[in-house]
Amino acid sequence: MSHVYPQSIYGQPSYGVPVPGFSAQRATPASYQQHYFQPPPPPQPQQQAAPPQPLFHSDPNSFRRDFTSRLSNLTINSRVHIQDLSMMAQDHPHFSSIVAQSLDHHIRQVPPWMKLPGFYLLDAISKNVFEPYASVFSRIVTSLFMDAYFQVDSSTRNKMEEMLLTWRTAGPEHSPLFGPETQDRLQTSVWGDQSFATKNQVLSELQFTLGQMERALQANPRDRTPEGHIHVLNQLRRLVERGVSQPELRQILEQLRTLARSALPPPVVRPPPPTPRPVAAPYYNQHPPFPPQAHAPPPRPYSHPPPLSFNSIPQAVDVAPPQAPVPALLPSNLESLMASLVKSGVLSVPGTSTPTAQGTSTPEVAPPLALSEREDPSAVKDMNTREYRNFILSEPIALTTSDITRARPRIVELLYERQTSQCKQCGIRFADTKLGKKRLEDHLDMHFRQNSKVDQGRGHSRSWFTSLENWIHDASINEKGKGPAHSLSLTSTKVDNAKREEELRAQFVVIPPGAEAQSVSCPICKETLQSEFLEDEEEWVWRNAVKKDDKIYHATCHAEATTSTSSIAARLRTEKQQGSRSATPEVYPMTGIQSTTLRSTPPPSLLRKSGSRSPPQLISPGSKVAGVKRKVDHHDSDPLEDGTGTPPFKKLALSSTPIPSS
Amino acid sequence: MSTSTDTPISEPKRWDLEPESEYRFELDPGTSLAIKLVEGQAEVFGFELAEAKVYLFGSECKAAVYTWKGCAIQVTGVPSTEYVSNETPMRIYANLHIALEQMRVRALRQVRGSPVPSQEANARSDPPRVLVVGPEHSGKTTICKILTNYAVRAGQGWTPFLVNVDPGEGGWAAPGTVSVAPVKGPIPTASSANPLGTAATNAPMSLASNTLLPLAYWYGHPQTKRNPLLMDRMTRNLGENMNDRFELDPEGRASGLIVDTPSSYASGPSANDHRHKLINACIDAFKINVIVVVGHEKLNVEMQRSYGANLMVVKIPKSGGVVELDSSYRDRVTNYQLHAYFYGQVIKPPAGITNGSLGGESLTDLVLSPSSTVINFNDIIIYRIGSDAMAPSDALPVGARRTVSEMQPVVVDPASPGSRLLNAVLALLSPQASDESERYDEEVLDLTLVGFLIITNIDITTKKMTVLAPNRGSFTGRTAVVGSFEWQEQ
Ligand SMILES: [Zn+2]
Ligand SMILES: [Zn+2]
Repeated sequence: MSHVYPQSIYGQPSYGVPVPGFSAQRATPASYQQHYFQPPPPPQPQQQAAPPQPLFHSDPNSFRRDFTSRLSNLTINSRVHIQDLSMMAQDHPHFSSIVAQSLDHHIRQVPPWMKLPGFYLLDAISKNVFEPYASVFSRIVTSLFMDAYFQVDSSTRNKMEEMLLTWRTAGPEHSPLFGPETQDRLQTSVWGDQSFATKNQVLSELQFTLGQMERALQANPRDRTPEGHIHVLNQLRRLVERGVSQPELRQILEQLRTLARSALPPPVVRPPPPTPRPVAAPYYNQHPPFPPQAHAPPPRPYSHPPPLSFNSIPQAVDVAPPQAPVPALLPSNLESLMASLVKSGVLSVPGTSTPTAQGTSTPEVAPPLALSEREDPSAVKDMNTREYRNFILSEPIALTTSDITRARPRIVELLYERQTSQCKQCGIRFADTKLGKKRLEDHLDMHFRQNSKVDQGRGHSRSWFTSLENWIHDASINEKGKGPAHSLSLTSTKVDNAKREEELRAQFVVIPPGAEAQSVSCPICKETLQSEFLEDEEEWVWRNAVKKDDKIYHATCHAEATTSTSSIAARLRTEKQQGSRSATPEVYPMTGIQSTTLRSTPPPSLLRKSGSRSPPQLISPGSKVAGVKRKVDHHDSDPLEDGTGTPPFKKLALSSTPIPSS
Repeated sequence: MSTSTDTPISEPKRWDLEPESEYRFELDPGTSLAIKLVEGQAEVFGFELAEAKVYLFGSECKAAVYTWKGCAIQVTGVPSTEYVSNETPMRIYANLHIALEQMRVRALRQVRGSPVPSQEANARSDPPRVLVVGPEHSGKTTICKILTNYAVRAGQGWTPFLVNVDPGEGGWAAPGTVSVAPVKGPIPTASSANPLGTAATNAPMSLASNTLLPLAYWYGHPQTKRNPLLMDRMTRNLGENMNDRFELDPEGRASGLIVDTPSSYASGPSANDHRHKLINACIDAFKINVIVVVGHEKLNVEMQRSYGANLMVVKIPKSGGVVELDSSYRDRVTNYQLHAYFYGQVIKPPAGITNGSLGGESLTDLVLSPSSTVINFNDIIIYRIGSDAMAPSDALPVGARRTVSEMQPVVVDPASPGSRLLNAVLALLSPQASDESERYDEEVLDLTLVGFLIITNIDITTKKMTVLAPNRGSFTGRTAVVGSFEWQEQ
């Protein structure tokens, strides 16, 4: 599927979130008006240190020098720089070919991670100045875009795809910004043959439309219309993800585009919006002033202008009839798109009941809230722990050679159909549930942080392996992909302890039926365990709890008690109590075995009681309980000569825990 | 077609795969392949491919793109062998996975005290602890990888522990180790250098399985018969430490473990052979409750007879895609692994491919910079374990006993002419006990591995040597052990 990029994840999204009301306060310098296809940029905010005002050049060479040198500073997505360069281009339309040459050269020669700002500039100039730039750029944009597209990383590629989709309707009368041929060539290069719709492309465009709806909603929370659209688009997305046929994909794509076109405000006479039109505002100044910051503020990213303005969708617009052989749609109504697709059999809804389809016979009057109530619960396959367990246990497969040879596994359902949200970047899937969505968000967040790290440190190297203590305590610094430091020390795991504690606190034990009213306290700290209802399990549980030998402990208390007995400090303490080892035979009190070893080796770890180590653990002199964990000792006699191949000491230890058989 | 270019750009080829079939390929040394999923769903040894992303393969990788539901892939490059097969054992592997999942969900149910329905009352609640055995070229490692990948793809937050007791296999770092790593995300297959994922670097990685944190002991030789006592000890050490971790993390324990074994455990003269003892060591150390025998009826019968009473023994077929490998291939792979450990994965994409990823990562992130330093002889203490340092046994006088046991660490002097340290692979160990009274002769056998070093130059007159280390971290005053692996420049 395509990514859901919530704004909150991407701290500096390429599409800025407009602040309602803010754009309305801006004045528009009237003198620039006639040059603009779209409203012109307002004055620069004073909070930003703007580059020196561009001069007016009459000499092409001095213009080229000035423009190129300013352009060379465009190394990051800086709104101020893009604005500055865009103004300069606007003031010198007669040098448009110099602008095009410089920009082409600049984008081609910078490293891949620096290319996007260049495209944002190209985008800004084309959309805001339009002619002559759009026609000049249209000659170079295809190869420039595609050459870069194949060099950049996937997150940049996503941003470029998004930009490409805005170009489709950013020209006059919502025509393609660089003309239909250029647009078509670009789309074909990015998504493949345009007569052959791929699932990826449909999902991309669905996601794009979804993103705009979400922005519209954020821009104007009072208007609930986008909410309904988002809901229906999401359902449509799920259908597509589950797999639909090629003609279906094609038709959905056409419908989406028809819809996107018609959803645009009428090009010539723009109806006065009932509220400020933050979405349609140009990219300049969509952001509030910087909050005061102690350090030099990071440059504002450029947010290129979304071409659609959903909060001004006219309720009834005459549109060109859709070319697809599906019933004509009221394009502003996404829900009916969905309903018609289902009804006309274009989309076949998996499963038996399709209330989504049947319930939308009069979708126009249904308020968005009702949509979620009507949602088919079976459409959202919830894979919570309990459901998963039931599914797995209902598979008639015993662990025998004949069963695993004969059965027909429902593996496809497990691996694919119940996990329809897929990360485009690495292929990992997530369940289409609330929890799955949350996990996908966290996952994308992780990728984002990874991507933003890429160019910081050069010269990567292999890390040392983690220490035994850290490994046992799962003090993995590595969770989010950052390698551990190149330090051999055993300390500095503070951060990881916090993470570990968080994990411990998330552990739970289901309260046995009938014991709900009972108050149970932790044997270590004596405090009462907190109970709560866990939706995922559909059970009452004790939080931060772990069950050991039929006792319920706080997971944190238990871990602490267990840890302290196995920590290095504890080990040292224990060993001190033991006194120094001598080369004389030692007697191990608990076994009565006299060691025949003459080596100065430590006592074996056999006395650790496997499987029954309950906290708090008392360390009594003479017994080495949790001390020597990595030392499995041998006698002088070859343990392998023994019939079972088990060293005698070890065997004693194991005799209390027979090999589990199931 | 009509024009000829200097660098031959092989045209991308499209392969349409039917459901439950796979595209198999093998690569010659120095060649690479790019595969893009165009449509449908596909996986490489259980690792799902993302659509439209270009995956590169190199270092004599031999792999297969399998599809459950059908797919179309686009392949660029020239493999030495490529074909599509409709006969795969994947259904059986999937059933095995589901049977293991049943054990996991029951184990987690018990840890959390969730109610047990009456029909389940007698079901055991041990997590799966699986020993995979099989003869050479049966695809054991691949099966371990598929089972691990399916577990992490279940979406249940499982973190299975993948154990490698085959010292001839590089696993996640370099060969010669007995090691384990918790696996949090699917393991990609891209190169013969990292069959089980990749140990962590300080480069940003997008896949969890490219940042593995293994716990490893340095055995030092590719063959288990070289020092079975040491294998036994290290296997048990590893098991002890895993149990300690499971004690602290009962939920983590529910994911279970999967043990990849060397083929020496599956074949050879039975009676007085060391292999049964080493299998026993695994069963004890990892509390094995399932033995999976890959494609070998005789071995299956033997395992049933020896262990069938106490634990489950199941047989699964080997895949027809498994390739016979000669020993020179093994040597080259060892070399790829050691180089990948220090320098990362350096693979030249096929001509015309500019946007490939290797194992899901961008190529630039996979290039590593090791560090080369000159140190004094006495900056590190180097040991060699056991009789290897001494004369071979047949050179001893009749009736004479060894003065050094197989398990005794012997200090190696870099200045001595027979040190054989030049270009030797050293294992840097974790620090010895800081307290003198805690130390013991064989302590170095019980210290975990922190990394590898290579001695690239020895200057006897100045008593200095040049050491290649993976990073700039200091290691003076530390202990290292030399085995029988040797570094070869590529
Ligand atoms: Zn991902
Ligand atoms: Zn407590």
